[in-house]
Amino acid sequence: MFNQLYESVVIGFKAVFQNKGRAFLTMLGIIIGILSVSLMGTAINGIDNVFDDTMGMFGEDVLYLQQFPWFMGNTEWWEFRNRPQIREEYAAKIAKRAESISFASVETNRRVTLTYKESSSEGVDLKCASWQSAYIDVAKIESGRYFTQLEDEQRARVVIIGSEVKKVLFPNVDDPTGLKIKINGLNFKVIGVFSEQGKIFGMFSIDNMAVIPYQTSKGVFGRSWWLSISLKVRDGANKEAAVDEVHYITRGLRGLRPLESDNFAINQQEAMEDELGKIKTTIGLIGIGIAALSLLVGGIGIMNIMFVSVKERTKEIGIRKALGAKRWVILIQFLFEAVIIALIGGMIGLGLTMLLVGVINKFFVASMSIGLVITAISVSIGVGIISGIVPASQAARLDPIEAMRYE
Amino acid sequence: MLLLKLRNIYRIYHIGKVNVHALNGVDLDVEKNEYLSVMGPSGSGKSTLMNIIGCLDTPTQGSYELDGMSIHKEDRNLFDTASDDQLAYIRNQKIGFVFQTFNLLPRMTALHNVELPLIYAGVPKLERIERAKATLEKVQLADRMYHRPNELSGGQRQRVAVARALVNNPSIILADEPTGNLDSKTGHDIMGLLSDLHMQGNTIILVTHEHDIAERADRVIYMLDGKINEDNKKK
Repeated sequence: MFNQLYESVVIGFKAVFQNKGRAFLTMLGIIIGILSVSLMGTAINGIDNVFDDTMGMFGEDVLYLQQFPWFMGNTEWWEFRNRPQIREEYAAKIAKRAESISFASVETNRRVTLTYKESSSEGVDLKCASWQSAYIDVAKIESGRYFTQLEDEQRARVVIIGSEVKKVLFPNVDDPTGLKIKINGLNFKVIGVFSEQGKIFGMFSIDNMAVIPYQTSKGVFGRSWWLSISLKVRDGANKEAAVDEVHYITRGLRGLRPLESDNFAINQQEAMEDELGKIKTTIGLIGIGIAALSLLVGGIGIMNIMFVSVKERTKEIGIRKALGAKRWVILIQFLFEAVIIALIGGMIGLGLTMLLVGVINKFFVASMSIGLVITAISVSIGVGIISGIVPASQAARLDPIEAMRYE
Repeated sequence: MLLLKLRNIYRIYHIGKVNVHALNGVDLDVEKNEYLSVMGPSGSGKSTLMNIIGCLDTPTQGSYELDGMSIHKEDRNLFDTASDDQLAYIRNQKIGFVFQTFNLLPRMTALHNVELPLIYAGVPKLERIERAKATLEKVQLADRMYHRPNELSGGQRQRVAVARALVNNPSIILADEPTGNLDSKTGHDIMGLLSDLHMQGNTIILVTHEHDIAERADRVIYMLDGKINEDNKKK
């Protein structure tokens, strides 16, 4: 039994390698199919992997009161841009009135260039935030400290820098706290350095940033547009209830009548998750579509080539049966041939995926997982079996006399 | 000892709406270590008879016993026959075929060709190779065992086929026109080989249309219109 099985496998292998060119062409469909299945898989894996990093930037129990929702269509933007600005005083009012909110911080971002002696760091994301952000933001401080309420109110020129900024400005300094850097030509004292947070989607570093007090920024840059208010949900409070509460209070602040629609947005991490979910679904559907189509075509190709192989070897089948080969022996022989073609195709597809993952990671995220490899291999084996079973059972049922006469 | 027992064998082919009676009630007994020739014009049914004896074909009617095993049994109206895989097993264990066109697998060495029946018998690799080599030595092809069929002469190919037929110690060797594709000298050698095998105790059934070849056997039957017309035993 084992001997015959082994023999069948060997014959299947030989049959594939005797017709390398033909087998390779047949494999193309499977290669493309497995390539698209696994590329799709790596992209989804990659998104999952960065998901936590990205979410880390936005606090889990933080609401963002902003003029725009995070995700919107192009036409909506024209509508939303005419909305009234978010005003600084909302923060204090919401914090006071909303029971479910413990802290509210006014924030605004701008791009600036930081300089220290001869070195400068361009395109730094400068966040100007109220002192309450110390209790809202999730970024950890590696050395030094955050600014205080007093420093904010007295418009102190202090700055906390991200690890990327530190690397550029102070390549040789171990701890830059206490040193002075220039923002917009004005001296700011470095009071802290954030620990490294990594990159979102492998694209933008979130460490190329710095934070200064909001009140200080008003003195330095004047009045800011595009304010955002970060609201920390009180520990133990229901997040949905907090959203409702903030919604109600903000409508009151805006003086909206019951039938008027909102002219502000309350954003939260879930919106990001939903959007990522949509991206994942889209990638998944496209990948599955392409994969299913090419696997179907590949499977038909294998079936076709197997019919040819059975036809070509009719006489051989007849001789083998005359010498005592049972049906299953012949069946396994041809089934293996089909599975080997599909499996080699799948392996090539996986190999190409591994090569491409490196390239893709330069501009998007992708990562291989063992589950993906197992899926790809089982899919190829499945395609091989499905497309090989009909030709193989046709071969197994051949009548030995007829088959031996075939030339 | 009775090796083959065929009773009332019919084989009817349905070709379109016409029924062709290839065998029309054949009775045949063959003893162990007999050397039997089957002769007859084309269409007389000798190939069909060989196919049924060789378990490659199934009779439409009749009973067949081989080496004490009932392969096809006619019990009143009930017609009982072995399955496809059972027939494959019997072919593997009991029958050695020698064909006119050799029917060797072209991509395999002589040795591997001879190994084939042993593979399907489930003989372990080392024993298999040893037995195949020994059998090739018996047909004087020890020095050609790693050659492929296209590197061998017609006579050598037929020797490989004879070795393949012998390797599993079958009860019976069926040779269907074994000299048909050989020149007369090589054909003579192969017939000599078959005679030697007969002397060593093998049972041989030979299909031929050449009288001088048939005469080498110690019993000759003549077939005509699907029946045994004459049965001549030599003393």
